[in-house]
Amino acid sequence: MKTNMLGIYDDENVMLHAIDKLQDGGVAVADVYSPFPIHGIWSRLKQTTRLPYATFAYGAVGAVLVFSLLYWMSVVSYPLKFGGKPLNTLSFIIIMFVMTINIGTLFTFLTYLFREKMFPGKKVELPDPRSTEDKFVVVIADIGSLSEQETIRIKKLLQETGASEIKESTVTLHEH
Amino acid sequence: MDKKVHLSKTFKIIMIVMIVLGIISVIAEFMTQDSTRVWANLLLNNYYFLSVAIGALFWMALQAVTQSGWSAAYLRVPQSMSNYLIVSFILFALMFFGVHDLYHWTHADAVAHDPLLQHKEPYLNLPFFAIRFVVFFLLWILITKRINFLSLKEDKEGGTTFFNKIEFNSKVFIFVFAFSFSLFSIDWLMSLDPHWYSTIYVVKKFIMAFFHGVTVITAIVIILHKQGYFPMLTKKHISDFARYIFALSIIWGYMWLSQYLLIWYANIPEETVYYIPREMGEYKTLFYLELIMNWAFPFIFLMWNRVAKNENLVLFAVLVLIAGHWVELYMSIMPSLNLKHSITLIEVGTFIGFAGLFGLVVGTSLSKMPIIPKNHPYLSESLHDDH
Repeated sequence: MKTNMLGIYDDENVMLHAIDKLQDGGVAVADVYSPFPIHGIWSRLKQTTRLPYATFAYGAVGAVLVFSLLYWMSVVSYPLKFGGKPLNTLSFIIIMFVMTINIGTLFTFLTYLFREKMFPGKKVELPDPRSTEDKFVVVIADIGSLSEQETIRIKKLLQETGASEIKESTVTLHEH
Repeated sequence: MDKKVHLSKTFKIIMIVMIVLGIISVIAEFMTQDSTRVWANLLLNNYYFLSVAIGALFWMALQAVTQSGWSAAYLRVPQSMSNYLIVSFILFALMFFGVHDLYHWTHADAVAHDPLLQHKEPYLNLPFFAIRFVVFFLLWILITKRINFLSLKEDKEGGTTFFNKIEFNSKVFIFVFAFSFSLFSIDWLMSLDPHWYSTIYVVKKFIMAFFHGVTVITAIVIILHKQGYFPMLTKKHISDFARYIFALSIIWGYMWLSQYLLIWYANIPEETVYYIPREMGEYKTLFYLELIMNWAFPFIFLMWNRVAKNENLVLFAVLVLIAGHWVELYMSIMPSLNLKHSITLIEVGTFIGFAGLFGLVVGTSLSKMPIIPKNHPYLSESLHDDH
C-alpha cells in the first residue's frame, strides 16, 4: 500500500500559488481534489490528454460507417428512385453529419469512463472527503519511496505555502 | 497601459499608395469595362469592408453581453472600426449613382411589365430603399459611437457604471444589427436578382459578417503583436481567436449547406436559377473554391490544437479567409448580374484600394486612443489569462 501526502488548503487562490511553488521546488504534484472545477488547473499540473485524437478517430470512422450503411441501404440493397434524385444522394450529408457528432460524443464519453476506471455504482476514492465540501486537497504521491529529508522538505513547503493541514493517507488513488 | 499605436510614416505612405492604386483601378475599369461591372465591383468591396467593420462591432457587443474576460484587452481593435462606418456611409451613398446599373427593379418600365416586381414594389422602391439605407447607417454609427464614448470615459473615471452602460448599449446594438443588417443584405445584395429569394440568404450574410469581423480582428491583433503591442498576447488568446474562426467556419458551412441542400432537394426552377450559373457555367471552379477556402480549409487546419496556438499559422489561415470572403461575395454578386467571370488586376487593385482606406481609417483611430482599455473591470483576467 502506497502512502500519499496530502496538503489541505482552505482557499482556491492560495492553493494555486502553492502548486506553482511546489513545482518550482521540484515536488511533483500528482493530483488535486476540489469541490468545483478550477479553470486552468489542468495545464498547471502539466497534464496532457490524447482524448481529442480519439474523438477525431471515432468521428472519422463513424462518418465512413454511416455512409457505408446509407449507401448499402439506398443504392445496393433497396434502390428506390424518388423525386428524380440520384440514388447516392446529397441528403446523406445531414445524417452523416449528425451521426458523426453522435458517435464521436458517445464513444469519447465511454473512452473517458474506461480510462478513468469509472462505472455506475463505483465506490468513491477520496483521499479526504472534505474535498467535496470546502477544502482543496493537493496530493503528493507515494512519499514512502522518498528519503526522510525529502519528506520533511515537502512538509515544510506545504506549510510555507499556507496549507491549513498536512496529513498522510493510504487511500488508493487512481493514477493518471 | 496608456500606450497608443504609433503610426509610422511608411505605414501611411503604403496605405496612401494602396488607395491611389485603387482609384487608378476604378478609373481604368470605368474606361475599359461596362458600367454595370464597375458598380458591381465597387459594391463588392464596399459591402466587404462594411461587413468587416460591422461584424467586428458585433463581436465587441457580444463580448460585453456575455461579460467575457479574456477579450477585454483587445476591445479597442473593433472599437476603432466604428470610424470606418462613417467612411463606408459616404462610399455607399456614392453607390446611388450606379443604382440603375445594378438594380433591375429601379427601372419604372421594367416594373410596369413585371407582376412580381409590382408585388414587391411597396418594399423595393428607390425612396424607401434610400430611407432604409440612411436609417440603418445612422443607427449603427450612433450606437457604436456611444459605446466608444462610454469606453473612453471608463478609461478616465473607472468604476463599473460604464461597464453596465456598455452592456446595455451592446444589447441594443445586437438587436438593431440583427434586424437592420439582414434587411440591408436583402436590399443591396439579394435584390440584385429581384425574382429570386432565399430565407437563409440573410442568415448566411449575417454569419459572414461576424466571421469576417473576427478574422480581421485576429489579423490586426497578431500584426500589432508582431510590432510590439499587446505584450500579454498568449497562446491561450491566440487559440481563443482561432476557436472563434473555427466555430464560425462550421456555422458558415452549415448555412451554405442549408441553402444549397433545400434548393437542390426541392428542385424548383424559380429557386435553382440561383445555382445554375454558379455551379454549371464558368463560375464552377470558384463555386467549389468558395466552399474549400471558407469551410474545409479552416475546419481541417484549425482543428489541430498546435496550429490554433501558433500565431504565424493562425495568421496564415486568416489571410486565406480574407481572400475566401472576397470569393464568397464575388460569387453572390457577379453571377446575379449575368456578368462574365473575370478576375483581373483591376479587381485586385480595387480591393487593395479599399484595404488601404480601411487600414488608414482603422490605424488612425487606433493611434488616437490607448490600445488597452485600462479600467475595464475584466482587464486583469484578460492580462493574466495564461493557462
